[in-house]
Amino acid sequence: MQACLRAPAMKSARLLLAAACLAGAAIAAPAGSDDPLEPDQAFRPSARLVAGDAMAGPGRHGIDIEYRIAPGYYLYRSRLKFELSPPTLLVGAPELPAGIEVDDPFLGKSAIFRESVTIHLPFAVSVARPGRYKVRITAQGCAEDRLCYSPFPQEVVVNIPPGYRVTDSPGLPR
Amino acid sequence: MKGWLPLAGISLLAALAGVSLWLAGRHAAPPPMESGPVDVTPAAIHAARFTDGEGASQSLGQFSGKVVVVNFWATWCTPCREEMPGFVKLQARWKDRGVQFVGLAQDDPAKVAAFARELGVNYPLWLGGAEVMDLSRRLGNRLGVLPHTVLLDSQGRVVESRIGIYAESVLDSRLAAITGK
Repeated sequence: MQACLRAPAMKSARLLLAAACLAGAAIAAPAGSDDPLEPDQAFRPSARLVAGDAMAGPGRHGIDIEYRIAPGYYLYRSRLKFELSPPTLLVGAPELPAGIEVDDPFLGKSAIFRESVTIHLPFAVSVARPGRYKVRITAQGCAEDRLCYSPFPQEVVVNIPPGYRVTDSPGLPR
Repeated sequence: MKGWLPLAGISLLAALAGVSLWLAGRHAAPPPMESGPVDVTPAAIHAARFTDGEGASQSLGQFSGKVVVVNFWATWCTPCREEMPGFVKLQARWKDRGVQFVGLAQDDPAKVAAFARELGVNYPLWLGGAEVMDLSRRLGNRLGVLPHTVLLDSQGRVVESRIGIYAESVLDSRLAAITGK
């Protein structure tokens, strides 16, 4: 074998052997657990109050909902619903990024979110009283090629502390 | 010098076999998974009411005496639609051997009807409201995912409850085992 591998003509054989090893390694590599994640593990929302600060940009007030989406999972853009109590504090429609367009042979074109997405809720921060505000979310998504989650409820909370003031800073980049 | 030829041949075959298996594994759907504990009686399963495409009330009790494959699905669920052609074939193969498929969905009736026509679904597709997923959860689908497939024996007892795509060949074997045919 040693002599065999030392021979100059063995370059091709060694390459093939390496390919075989790589293929074997690919087969042997753990594919991860087959169990689907809990909805709250697959799709993890968090909320952040934004009020014209440096991160949000001047004049941009509200709640940013950030979703962390597990690898291999996706959320349907059009199926996300947000409710806040009292609803009058929501002064506009949720602002969702365009997402990734997918063309379903039966349903046609739609958009999905993978990895992460931030959705802006135009929440009237300047008129809201200090306190805890719950955002109730209804979401729907899938684990790629495996299964889908029927609409599931989630909840995130934002807190407006006493004395909180909107800190618009004109001139800061959005 | 010629000793390298068998080694190269074996390596090539191994590599081809490995890559083929790897590719097959990448594209094959993972097997369905056993779901959680069942919390519903056969009588309640048989009594649950749904609506057919014509708006008539239907229940699983009418299939008492048959092995029933209850498939929870939705038109927006791509994996659900992927497994259904296999169910259509199995329904045709097993219809004279005491097996009845039923699809249950909480969905838009027009979309369900369009999909049924497009695929040529040869078993009932019934609709309902929140009670569809409620029954699915009580049949062990703790996560509320689709597809969810439940096999009932001739008396409505749960023989198997699985989430994920149920491959045609695997379900065919299960039906053979359950019916003894």
